[in-house]
Amino acid sequence: MPHPTHDCADPRGQAEPVVSLQDVRLTLPSEAGAVEILRGLTLRVDRGETVGVVGPSGSGKSTMMMIVGGLERATGGTVRVAGRDLSTMDEDALALFRRDNVGIVFQAFHLIPTMSALENVAVPLELAGVSDAFGRARASLEAVGLGHRLSHYPGQLSGGEQQRVALARAFAPEPVLLLADEPTGNLDGATGEKVISLLFGMTERTGATLMLITHDPRLADRCSRTVRLVDGLIQADGAAPPRAAAAQ
Amino acid sequence: MTSVSEAAAGLRSDASAGRARAGLVAMAWRIARRELRGGLGGFRVFLACLALGVATIAAVGSLSAAIERGLREDARALLGGDIEVRQLYTPITPEQLAYLEAAGPVTASRQTRAMARTLDGESRSLIELKAVDDAYPLFGAVETAPAAPLAGLFAPDAEGRPGAVVDGVALRRLGLAVGDPIRLGDGLFHVAAELVAEPDRLSGTGFLTLGPKVLIAESAMAATGLVQEGSLIYHFYRVALPPDADAGAFKAAFTETFPDAPIRVQDFTDGAAGLRDFIDRLTAFLTLVGLTALLVGGVGVANAVRAFLDGKITTIATLKCLGASNRLVFAAYLIQIMVLAGLGTVAGLAVGAVAPLFASGFLAEEFGLSLAFGVFPLPLLLAAVFGMLTALAFSIWPLARAREVPPAQLFRALVAPARRWPAWPYVAATIVAGAVLALLAIATADDTRLAAIFVAGAVGAMAAFRGAGLLIEWAARQAGRPRSTALRLGLANIHRPGAATPSVVLSLGLGLTVLVAVALIEGNMRDAIRERIPDEAPAYFFLDIQPDQVEAFEAAVASVPGAGRVDRTPMLRGRIVAINGTPADRMPIAPEAQWALQSERGLTYSAEPPDNARIVAGEWWPSDYSGAPLISFSADLARGFGIGIGDTLTVNVLGREMTGTVANLRDIEWGTLQLNFTIIFAPGALEAAPHTVLATVQATPEAEPALERAVTDALPNVSAIRVRDALDTANDVLESIGLAVTATAAITLVAGVLVLAGAVAAGHRRRVYDAVVLKVLGATRGLISGAFLVEYGLLGLATAAVAAVLGAIASSVVVTEVMQLEWTLQPLAILLVLALSLVVTIGVGFLGAWRALGQKAAPLLRNP
Repeated sequence: MPHPTHDCADPRGQAEPVVSLQDVRLTLPSEAGAVEILRGLTLRVDRGETVGVVGPSGSGKSTMMMIVGGLERATGGTVRVAGRDLSTMDEDALALFRRDNVGIVFQAFHLIPTMSALENVAVPLELAGVSDAFGRARASLEAVGLGHRLSHYPGQLSGGEQQRVALARAFAPEPVLLLADEPTGNLDGATGEKVISLLFGMTERTGATLMLITHDPRLADRCSRTVRLVDGLIQADGAAPPRAAAAQ
Repeated sequence: MTSVSEAAAGLRSDASAGRARAGLVAMAWRIARRELRGGLGGFRVFLACLALGVATIAAVGSLSAAIERGLREDARALLGGDIEVRQLYTPITPEQLAYLEAAGPVTASRQTRAMARTLDGESRSLIELKAVDDAYPLFGAVETAPAAPLAGLFAPDAEGRPGAVVDGVALRRLGLAVGDPIRLGDGLFHVAAELVAEPDRLSGTGFLTLGPKVLIAESAMAATGLVQEGSLIYHFYRVALPPDADAGAFKAAFTETFPDAPIRVQDFTDGAAGLRDFIDRLTAFLTLVGLTALLVGGVGVANAVRAFLDGKITTIATLKCLGASNRLVFAAYLIQIMVLAGLGTVAGLAVGAVAPLFASGFLAEEFGLSLAFGVFPLPLLLAAVFGMLTALAFSIWPLARAREVPPAQLFRALVAPARRWPAWPYVAATIVAGAVLALLAIATADDTRLAAIFVAGAVGAMAAFRGAGLLIEWAARQAGRPRSTALRLGLANIHRPGAATPSVVLSLGLGLTVLVAVALIEGNMRDAIRERIPDEAPAYFFLDIQPDQVEAFEAAVASVPGAGRVDRTPMLRGRIVAINGTPADRMPIAPEAQWALQSERGLTYSAEPPDNARIVAGEWWPSDYSGAPLISFSADLARGFGIGIGDTLTVNVLGREMTGTVANLRDIEWGTLQLNFTIIFAPGALEAAPHTVLATVQATPEAEPALERAVTDALPNVSAIRVRDALDTANDVLESIGLAVTATAAITLVAGVLVLAGAVAAGHRRRVYDAVVLKVLGATRGLISGAFLVEYGLLGLATAAVAAVLGAIASSVVVTEVMQLEWTLQPLAILLVLALSLVVTIGVGFLGAWRALGQKAAPLLRNP
């Protein structure tokens, strides 16, 4: 049963939500006919929420995340993020929008392999014209415990270290919204645990809003709210763990 | 017992080692075959680079072989006989003629420069006049329009004017048609036919002639009034030997029978020697340019192999995990590369082999050459070996590196595998392959010195560009972090690990260097010929003025308003026959001085040093000198002959030998177009010999026609050479050669562009990824494009700058040392090359960037 989007725990409930999806659809053409990936998704996420997004593979979790990040365009519905209507923006405007509002952490890290850790973290700051981009990048890396790895290239770092660089990069510009897509999917348990602690710690410290895709129920439990997607639709949305909802 | 079993074990292990080797090759071949099924997709640049270089070398070689064979097949017709005897000034002696006639049929002819005029004297043209006897030609046929036997054409017309067969160029210049009267020297002729083709056109006085040809009968020569004492008339005798006779032996026997005659004897194998020399030199040069293209392509080969192996890292790692040895991996991939190299080479050979078909029209028109068509295995084989060796030399290194990397690291190294040197046997193998390539280039060149200089230059240039690449990377690193994000990203792209900077700088740089050098050499030659005609250069050379005509000549010049300074000098022609008493042909003479011995040289005598003389050794004689003959000699030739002050030269003038002592050496600047003689005698030695006067006259351009008319009307035996015409002729030749040279040089640039395109394509996946991640982080398309612009713009600019410097150095060496001309930097040529470089790098780079920018982000970012 869908959770009413206005019913959230945010004390500033009257303020504009960070993410607002209204009847969002995505249909992709394929040789075997059109494929409906998202079939009318409606979701509201308010400032400071931490939302776990769960669901089976192919349910549309990543697609929803791409649409919220302005990396994919919805074929129907309205997408508003940080007060902006993404559907009216062109590619460059979307890039600037991400620069100013969104940090993204991927399962595959997606660091630029030919840039050092410091350079990787500095890029979004440089793009934003921050005067002390490298100073802040250094601080950000120190915050994830990689102050001693500044000049290392991604190929010279372990998976956990690479993901910490990605975290530092995502948080350095202090985005209002942080999107994380299976951030521990490529890491072992202990390393993943460390990365998750960092992720939640930094979200809390910066006051960012977090949307986290995960298959890991324990990780979803740490979020203030869990949304379950099945077949392109929101099947459950609530503070209770979705597996509990599913069991009901 | 133990020892027996040990021995048996040893034997077994020997045998199993042999089996293992065979097994390794078989296994490597099986792996290679399976991998080759993947297609040639990543090898387009590899194949194109090799094919281009191989095609160039094969085409140049095939073309040269086709010309050579064409010349050989027509050798007798080209020379006009099995044997040609040539003597300046006077006919050969009756004994000599009898000797020739005893061997077979002989045709005698005479050839000189002369003026042809219309009856009213309104039009005139310098021509090459050739008077032939009834037996001419012994081989081949003279083609005329209308076609008729020469004897009939030479017959007098109704008004008693003998016939002349006139080249079409002269007819058009004079505005004459068949049947019109024509004045040759002093004699009145009629145009009996147009000369279409002359079998021995390339023989005679050289293949570059200043005037179109006119044929008349030997019996009509006297009427021209051109046969005067000391006039420059070449007497030719051509002999048809019996079919089984040995022309070389006859030539030797004749020279031995008449050792002191000032005669040049050639057999048919020497035919068109000047042209052959020229073709040989051009071939040598173009082959080297082709090799440069191949070297540039080699960089592309190395890049392609590296990119290919980068893509195979997981395959190699998997093979290793499954138990494949390093050697097996190396062998399997070497086989693949060599199979592909074979494909590229064969494609290049196919293009090269048919090149003569396409060039034949041009060569027939420009040089009157007929090519022999066919497949020439030797040049093709050479091109193939060059191609395969290049592929080998440039792929061992990346192959060995892939072999070295442990599987664990292979899995990990995404972009920049640890830079380490391959094991020493592979380093050695690379060096050996490179050395064999260099030695082959030197050994197969006609001019080994030039080839050796080229190899040294190529190695030097490659080292210079490698250094330049490192320097550019270093400078980009040092540039710090400029405020502009595009600038910073662009600079970072230049020095990032795995950046294409070194290979782009090397390959594009080599191509651009060749282009700069060729452009500067050509520009300087053009300047020397046309644009740098000194202000004081004469307008005309007048040849064959008889000493008793000097007054009339001066009067004729004085009558023309606008005619200026006149320089006169007595002129003889003589051949240098001995140096310090030793026959010149037995002396070790440097190649660059050989030309001075190949035919008669102009001689003069003078009490005073010439105005433009620069004495560099010894002293000029006193103006009232009388005594033993003294010589003032060219300083360059003295170096080439290995002689100096006090040595003697013996010169044969009109059959008389004259020995003089070298008293001083002059630096001669041929570029001034003033009267220059390699040999000037002191007064007393030559005055008595029959000679003519050579004069130069300055004139305003408007006065030129009047000057020519006044002199040749007053003195019909005098030939007028207009300096502008002579320079135009030289310029025309230069232009057609220049085209071939520039076209070939452009091939090296094409190879460079291919390598650049290959490097851009190889980095494409990475660039798409970078662009996508940058877009995720908020970079606009404009900013990413700006970074590309900075990267490729700086790369192109820096590469072109280094290429400009190296090309300028190379061209200045060639222009000043080889061509002995003045060298000036031509900024326009360099600017053009700079612009071309920027267009190419930014163009090709942007093409790649454009595709990267258009890539959708989402598919690349999705979780695996």
